Amino acid sequence: MSLKKIVIDPITRIEGHLRAEVEVDETGIVREAYVSGQLFRGIELILKGRDPRDAGLLAGRICGVCTNSHFRAAVSCVEDAYSIELPKNAQIIRDLIAMALFIQDHVVHFYHLHSLDFVDVTSALQADPKRTSKEAHKYSDKPFRNSHSHYEDVLVKLQNFVKAGKLGPFSNGYWGHVDYKLTPEQNLILISHYLEALKFQTNISRAVAIFGGKTPHPQSIVVGGVTSVADMLNPQRLNDYLFIIKEAKEFIDRAYLPDMKLLVDAYKDEIKAGRGRANGNFLCVGGYEFEGEQRLFCNGVIYAHDFSAIEEFDETKVSEEIDRAWFSGEAKENEVCYTDLNEDKTLKTAKNEDKYSWIKAPRYDGRTMETGPLARVFVSYSKGNRLIKSFVEEFLSATDLELLDLSSTVGRNAARAIETSYICEYIFKLVSRLIQNVKYYDTDTWTKYDFGILEKNTAGRAFFEVPRGVLSHFVNIKEAKIENFSVIAPTTWNATPKNFDGLRGAYEEALIGLKIEDTSKPLEVLKVLHSFDPCLACAVHVIDAKGKELGAYKMKNT
Amino acid sequence: MRIVIVGGGIAAVYLANNLKKQDSALEVVILSEEKYRPYDRIHLCRLVDGAEDKEGISLVLDPRVKLELNQKINTIDKQNKKVFSDTSMFSYDKLIIATGSVPVSLFSVEGIKNAAVFRNADDCVKIKEGVGRSEFVIVGSGPIGLELLETLNEMPDVQKITLLLRGSHLYNVNLSIDAIKTIEKCYTKSGKIRISYGDEIVDKSIENGEIKLLKTKKLEIENPFVVFGVGIKPNIETFRESLACGKGILTNLFMQSEDEDIYAVGECAEIKDLGFVAGHVKECTLEADCAISHILGKETKEFKLEATIDMLKVGEFDLVDVSSPVFNSEYEKIVIASKKEKRIDEYFISDDKLSRFIGINSNVDVGYIETLINKGEDVDINYLYQNRLIGERGRLICSCEHMYHQDLVDIVKQSGIGSFLELSDFSEAGRVCGRCKMMVSNIIQDSQDLIDPDMPRKSAEDIKREKEIAEVAKRIDKFNLLHPRNELSTDNLESAMASLDIGKHEVNSWISMVTASMQLHPSFEQVVEGAVCNLNKVPIVWLELADCSGNSEAFIKSTNPAIEELIFDYISLDYHELLMSASGDQSENILEDIIKNQKGEYILIVEGAVPLAMDGKYLRIGPQGETGIELLKKCAKDAALVLAVGSCALDGGVVAAAPNPTGAVGVSEALGREDIINIPGCPTNPINIVGTLLSYIMFEELPALDKLNRPLWAYEGRVHDNCERRGHYELGEFVQEWGDAGAKKGYCLFEMGCKGPYANVNCPTMKFNSGTSWPVQAGHGCMGCTEVGFFDKFANERKYVEEQES
Repeated sequence: MSLKKIVIDPITRIEGHLRAEVEVDETGIVREAYVSGQLFRGIELILKGRDPRDAGLLAGRICGVCTNSHFRAAVSCVEDAYSIELPKNAQIIRDLIAMALFIQDHVVHFYHLHSLDFVDVTSALQADPKRTSKEAHKYSDKPFRNSHSHYEDVLVKLQNFVKAGKLGPFSNGYWGHVDYKLTPEQNLILISHYLEALKFQTNISRAVAIFGGKTPHPQSIVVGGVTSVADMLNPQRLNDYLFIIKEAKEFIDRAYLPDMKLLVDAYKDEIKAGRGRANGNFLCVGGYEFEGEQRLFCNGVIYAHDFSAIEEFDETKVSEEIDRAWFSGEAKENEVCYTDLNEDKTLKTAKNEDKYSWIKAPRYDGRTMETGPLARVFVSYSKGNRLIKSFVEEFLSATDLELLDLSSTVGRNAARAIETSYICEYIFKLVSRLIQNVKYYDTDTWTKYDFGILEKNTAGRAFFEVPRGVLSHFVNIKEAKIENFSVIAPTTWNATPKNFDGLRGAYEEALIGLKIEDTSKPLEVLKVLHSFDPCLACAVHVIDAKGKELGAYKMKNT
Repeated sequence: MRIVIVGGGIAAVYLANNLKKQDSALEVVILSEEKYRPYDRIHLCRLVDGAEDKEGISLVLDPRVKLELNQKINTIDKQNKKVFSDTSMFSYDKLIIATGSVPVSLFSVEGIKNAAVFRNADDCVKIKEGVGRSEFVIVGSGPIGLELLETLNEMPDVQKITLLLRGSHLYNVNLSIDAIKTIEKCYTKSGKIRISYGDEIVDKSIENGEIKLLKTKKLEIENPFVVFGVGIKPNIETFRESLACGKGILTNLFMQSEDEDIYAVGECAEIKDLGFVAGHVKECTLEADCAISHILGKETKEFKLEATIDMLKVGEFDLVDVSSPVFNSEYEKIVIASKKEKRIDEYFISDDKLSRFIGINSNVDVGYIETLINKGEDVDINYLYQNRLIGERGRLICSCEHMYHQDLVDIVKQSGIGSFLELSDFSEAGRVCGRCKMMVSNIIQDSQDLIDPDMPRKSAEDIKREKEIAEVAKRIDKFNLLHPRNELSTDNLESAMASLDIGKHEVNSWISMVTASMQLHPSFEQVVEGAVCNLNKVPIVWLELADCSGNSEAFIKSTNPAIEELIFDYISLDYHELLMSASGDQSENILEDIIKNQKGEYILIVEGAVPLAMDGKYLRIGPQGETGIELLKKCAKDAALVLAVGSCALDGGVVAAAPNPTGAVGVSEALGREDIINIPGCPTNPINIVGTLLSYIMFEELPALDKLNRPLWAYEGRVHDNCERRGHYELGEFVQEWGDAGAKKGYCLFEMGCKGPYANVNCPTMKFNSGTSWPVQAGHGCMGCTEVGFFDKFANERKYVEEQES
């Protein structure tokens, strides 16, 4: 069987530099896939030898999209190393910043980075505004901005846009591709929301900035707490924050979630066929205090879609491999070992030991795992998380889907939307806890410590659920300086290259079996990859020492 | 510093006024040998005919300048830096000699009642007294002689004038015979004047200090009054002993004599390297500027020869003489003459270049001629012919300020000024060398009936601003021509904006904000709006190299974002990996298309560092696996402008922090180019990107940049100086630890390691995320992210100590 290789580079509408190469047979079915990170910066190498208290500001720059996630995780792993406990208020404020980012991130991801894989802009021009308005009522009782005059406006303006001859970012799409399945009216609804979401994401960013100072790259977290105490004590700031979240919830409940139901409706066949499904291994570390022992997300590990036997997450089972990443496993630690591309500028993948990516290969108990909103929904729902239960059940019943169906391209997006909706609920609870604290004269935002007398040699780690999945930072401190720093980001898990074991990561696995209608327009590939919300700047990290064991970082049992 | 200026003419006054203007701390003293306050020699004729008194032609002197009259300087004590007159001694730190020139006479006129030179106010008094004599004899026909001739001709009490000329020409030896005839006719028409060519004084009989009879080669004149207008020479006899002199006091190009504390300016100075002695007011003021710049040590400029303009209006004829400093007699001449209009334009051409122009009753655009001579471009005869007709701006009136007739009329019409005095707020016309003062004054009077009494009058600033706006509008039009491919116009921009539900008021408020943040006057708003519309037409390529997408993210969250998104993401942002719908080959096609077909039109914005180690292979982009540096070079080559956005693009940022594992550098270094505009920040506030693009489009040039090539309008202010917590700093109220009582009250964060004192950027005023907050407001303090190497220097929460650097 002769296979044809398709190279897609750059994959746009993601953070960073990602290349995908798929090998298709004569019928256009993907038989093998390789995804590769194409940029190496070496932030961990830069962190070495620095004051541990500076790790946050520097590691924050790992990514400007998952901004704050790395900032917080780096500071947290240093706090873990020194056993510094946070004041309640500081914990809540960090969570408030993080939660606003979840919402912001998910909405931008779907509408601005992903929706054009489903929405044919040119088809929307054929829509009938009246029918559009009616159509929207199928998916929501109170659809967002649903007057037909509004749709008429959008339509007229869209036509002007096309007439002006400049489509800007809309130009050169795969318009007219058979994989676009929405009706003109459905396309128009989503375009309308695409434009609304532009305003939405700016507004929600203000919520991040209220306690973070700015976004991207907030600047209010320090080892021991947060600095935005004056904002915390200002009732107007809290009120502004709440108001922004309330507005956000409107959009999520009346546009984002209904749009997912619309997608499910249009793409039900491929969902039922499990298109874009990976190997069914899911990883979730859980987190975010809720009530008492409860957490917003439960921790747990699922193998092969077996929702009935969920294991507890055990950090000792995490390992890193670099067999096929551009690092050396033999020589001294952190050694870069770039083996270049083939002469025809394709990835070297012919042999089982050929290296082809800057992304290292994390494994859980030797297996590749998928992480992200889908993993969180599966784990939390299956473990009976009270808060999420109703959200999932409402969605499944409204769309007539089974839980397993969510393990697909469209399902991944649905899980993200469900999660966004219930995060809003959670935020309201968080804010009232903060208010309770402050009301009873607990205004502490920082735990005092004397850096001079802290342990000189120690280690720490931090695990967080962040918008794209599980993020972990590890630090080793020697003579009060960072000796080693290591990061495993969500995209590191999902976009992992193969090892000698030959196991495909989630990206690669999800591409297998995909039928590509037109190999010059591989829309199907983009759709699958985008559903994971790739973030490549996050994903690329050097491996520490000879890799494999992360035990070196583990100081305490949790 | 005490600066002593010797001399009492226009050069001395110009020097004194400008020294004081540029540094009010200077002590400036003028030592004049005259008994009158400085006056304008150009208008001596007005004293002769009594049209003005000495007050009327006096020069305006800064009242802070100390003026000493009747001080003829006899000696200089260079060692002790002192000068002496008969009566006084003056010490100086810098001495400027501006004694001008003395007139040449064929015999001494001292003690002779009816003979004079024509150089100062006393000469005028003497000449005036001679009006009763039977005949005036003027010797020489230089500009001043001709002017006096005209003045005397107009005086009814003067009966007869003889103009005595050694040669056979009037005004200048290079004039054509026709031109000379034309001038001659003007003078001889009234019959009062006779001109004796090829003639000179051969004898005279003097009795009782009075010339009774003057004999020339051709004539005998009884009881004449003789005026010499035969020339001048530098007035430097006093200084010959103490300073090296040639024709004048020898100076370098900064007008500095051999003694480093002594300068010479004006007609008394000779620039050694050029062998040049000034003869025009314009040249004197240029020399003065050079000397001042050298003395004050600010932007020192060397003297450069430029074309000079002489204008002479005598009775019925106007004479304009524009001459190259290198004019010599080796020329060919083109004459364009009209008998009907009594107009003669004479062009002197050497090596196909125009070296001089003399026009009689000419209509030509003198400003153009001047440029032609200064630029040394080849002469286009067709243009010279077309140029013979008067332009819409009318004739050049003030050659110093380049004010044309119509310009002055416009000022009168718009501002409603009624006198020469009031003009000074609007233009210096008639005030620099003063020669055209009367003409300017007349034009103002003649235009009074054009003033509409009901019209709101404009101030000087209004008119200046209007001119600037007109300039900007013109540039925008030009820009439109540069980008004809783009079909988007103001019309469909509006509908496109409407498609994003952006109300007009939002557009307006955004434009106001951009205008204000660019430190422009509010009346620029309209132009800014125009530029915004144009911005859509500029194709923008946004490259992400070794980056974190932070700047792109910031961009889509910018203040009043919908509009900026419209501009950057929806209309003109043709290539941007984070947002474009096309991927892989298709996105590459877009890029190739822009680079190939829109050379010199597109703007390249680069985000991220450029890794250079390992042949740049730490970053590869596109189906051909191009390295970051290859792609950058390809895109930058034909870009109209390259903007390096974010700190990584400035100097490698975090990626280049020690030990810089990938050998990363900033865009400017990677390209080896110094014309890259840096807009650093981590991330950069998008308003600063937008503003920079706008200023490029409006002014067609880079905005003013600081030493890091950052636009000054955004990066000039120090964070510390504009900080909202600055008051607490002044009061010594500091946060001592995170979350303490001071932190709750918003005290100064300096003790907590705020780097505001070391950072230059507009964060305190612009803030982030629709003005929601900024790091200082969030209680953390600044980390100097706009500065070079900030990750190794400033990115921590400790007070910055200089030693940390090493």
